[in-house]
Amino acid sequence: MPRTTTVESSGCPPLRALTFDILGLVKVVEAKGEQKEAPKVVETWGEPDASRCVLAASLVDREFDPLLGVARKSGKIEVLSPVNGDVRASISIESQNHPGSADNSIVGLHLFKGERLGSSSRSCNLLTCTSKGQANMTYVKMSKSLEDSGGESTQTMWNVCGSGSILCSKVDADESYALFGGKGVEVNIWDLNQCAKVWSAKSPAKNNLGIFTPTWFTSATFLCKDDHRKFVAGTNSHQVRLYDISAQRRPVVSFDFRETPIKAVAEDVDGHTIYIGNGSGDLASFDIRTGQLLGSFLGKCSGSIRSIVKHPELPVIASCGLDSYLRIWDVKSRQLLSAVFLKQHLNSVVFDSKFSTREAQVPPQQQDTDETLQTEEEEEKTVKRKKASKEHSGSKKLKTKKKSKRSKGDSNDIA
Amino acid sequence: MGRKRNLSEDGGREDEEEKPMKERRVKEKQEGRESMRPSMIKNKEKRAVVHAKLKQQKKVEKKKKVKAREAAEKKALELGEEVKPLLKFTVFTDLGFRVFSVDFVNRHNGVVYLGELIDGSMLFLFSLNIWFVGCSVLILDCEVGHCGIFCAHNISSHPARLTMGSPWSLGKPPPKMVPRTIENTRESDETVCLPDDEELFAGNDVDEFSAVLKNERSPKILITTSRYNSTRGPAFISDLISVIPNAHYYKRGTYDLKKIVQYANEKEFTSVIVVHTNRREPDALLVIGLPDGPTAHFKLSKLMLRKDIKNHGKPTSHKPELVLTNFTTRLGHRVGRMIQSLFPQDPEFRGRRVVTFHNQRDFIFFRHHRYIFETKESKQKESKGKKSKDEKNPQERTIARLQECGPRFTLKLISLQHGTFDTKGGEYEWVHKPEMDTSRRRFFL
Repeated sequence: MPRTTTVESSGCPPLRALTFDILGLVKVVEAKGEQKEAPKVVETWGEPDASRCVLAASLVDREFDPLLGVARKSGKIEVLSPVNGDVRASISIESQNHPGSADNSIVGLHLFKGERLGSSSRSCNLLTCTSKGQANMTYVKMSKSLEDSGGESTQTMWNVCGSGSILCSKVDADESYALFGGKGVEVNIWDLNQCAKVWSAKSPAKNNLGIFTPTWFTSATFLCKDDHRKFVAGTNSHQVRLYDISAQRRPVVSFDFRETPIKAVAEDVDGHTIYIGNGSGDLASFDIRTGQLLGSFLGKCSGSIRSIVKHPELPVIASCGLDSYLRIWDVKSRQLLSAVFLKQHLNSVVFDSKFSTREAQVPPQQQDTDETLQTEEEEEKTVKRKKASKEHSGSKKLKTKKKSKRSKGDSNDIA
Repeated sequence: MGRKRNLSEDGGREDEEEKPMKERRVKEKQEGRESMRPSMIKNKEKRAVVHAKLKQQKKVEKKKKVKAREAAEKKALELGEEVKPLLKFTVFTDLGFRVFSVDFVNRHNGVVYLGELIDGSMLFLFSLNIWFVGCSVLILDCEVGHCGIFCAHNISSHPARLTMGSPWSLGKPPPKMVPRTIENTRESDETVCLPDDEELFAGNDVDEFSAVLKNERSPKILITTSRYNSTRGPAFISDLISVIPNAHYYKRGTYDLKKIVQYANEKEFTSVIVVHTNRREPDALLVIGLPDGPTAHFKLSKLMLRKDIKNHGKPTSHKPELVLTNFTTRLGHRVGRMIQSLFPQDPEFRGRRVVTFHNQRDFIFFRHHRYIFETKESKQKESKGKKSKDEKNPQERTIARLQECGPRFTLKLISLQHGTFDTKGGEYEWVHKPEMDTSRRRFFL
């Protein structure tokens, strides 16, 4: 007998998540109401186009004037409004050394929410990093109108690594430090205010057989909300490592997780739970203080996990990846709350946690919600249509036959 | 033609046989269960003969039934309104029940007066809708001949029930039943592709196979084996090469698969097929799309080589036509497109070669045929022949005949990996996990 999951999904708390896929579409998934209904795709922004494939995304999650940064495959970075998907600014990062090289794609993007360089509501700062190791701090001025959305931008650029390729880059909670790591690049931490390297890791020693595994970091995350000194990194050789900058350059704790590369690491707000997703779709939570497995998230997840996010308030995480499902899990029971099929391979997901308060507060955005409701209804209709398509087609045929008969009869009458 | 003669003969034979059968049955009943059942015959051959006979009888009976049904349907159609079915109603109330036998003759103004119930309420039959007025109101949407579901909405305290004579008694045959199979009771899957899905087409346009499928690149296949290879492996590969045009066999040697992929990329191959052999029997197929296409790992089973197929044909070197059936979900589409990209997109219909990949319950069945259309003079039935003797113009029919050539095997997807072959660092688009087998009606392709 195959194992069967007995616990039915208990539905989602109200939340709003944005997913980004390889065709460049941004899909908004919302679960509304207290009835714990299943989340649905509410809006889809953008046209399907492979060159607009989203490589990285970052959200400034605040009640007033939230911003969403999206890095496209074509090298463009767009700053959107996560409320209605309007493009607020659009810039392209100039690459000095490798102009137009295809493999120098953006791997990391961070949108700063704090005040830097005199940022105001009409401007924002963002940090990008390409796979060749070019980090780029950009100051973008957003224009009012949509037409000249180019905006002014000033850039500061520096090189993070000499060789290898960067695969992960993260910024800590205070937004003053950033880490970079990748294939052949040990994790290194940079002070963003001075643009100077602060610390770099040292590869672990050879094992007892004298075998040295080459460096290949695939994902990383800063651990504590108020501290930049601890971070967790996942490697291609399915190892998860905890580094402490203040202690040593080698990992403090390291343990293995399954047999495929770690593709996503996310931290919990409590500061010691981490969530790990790997290349064959396994998702598990670990206590990083001891390196002990807390439990696996089982839910028929069949494709590589590309991104995991923790909801800032609710005990809920979302994961997405190559199986093109957005899955929402309960953290405590580790049960799948719901899965939404989004048709394309997904690259990343973010939670928009303040949407409910925003909707409640601002009257002009009520229209938006109305629209979303409408779209929801439309979607329902389409679903119904899909379901009833067979019957409909049958009945339609009948009707047409009848009609044709009638018309014939009419014509006869006329004749 | 032989078939029809058989039929008529069977009809004759059957009449003769039916009697002894009936007699036997009666005897069996009389004797209890002491008589011999066919399964009790010890001699295997005799038992087989008896079983075959029974089977034949059943078949004939079934055919008869079908014929009778068809004839009845035809008759009903011809007669149309003239059919006067006899309806038998039984009305149950708490006061008792009454049986009504009604025909449609006493019809007035479209209302057929059926009879009076005990408490004075009336039963009407309004064309095909049956109304039951009085102690309770019944509004039944019941077509004559179809057993509708009768429900009574009680208004007064009299519970009423209405049953109807079985529709079989009306002269109409029972409706044809559609058998419930695992396929048509499949668990609903939201990933099933719909024809109006724009995102699907947009995704298809940019996926890894689009270059081959749009005829921008012509497919060129490299076939190699696992490290150890003997007996059935090479035979299977020679069969595969005759199936897939522009396929080239390369000895595996001691090269890493990653090196081979690199080499094939340089030589502008579009796919690599690795035949994995275990215990001298091919048991897995690895299909790698190039330059960055996905890697599909199939389990290969039920392999039958060409030389083992009876009356097999020798395939020509024409480009074959490709038939892919039942690849419904996103994953299925992807696998189907991957298979499609192995073959040239411009089949030569002169060759009349068909390569079929048929998906059924996640198993992909491979067959390779040559077909031919033949016109055959068909003799008409004897009864009709008498009528049309003077015409002497036998009907001409075209029939398609198939000759199987090439191997026959079954594939089952184990995993689909993103990117080229990389077991250590690869990301999977789909892997089969035990927790996904929650139902036997759940399919992924």
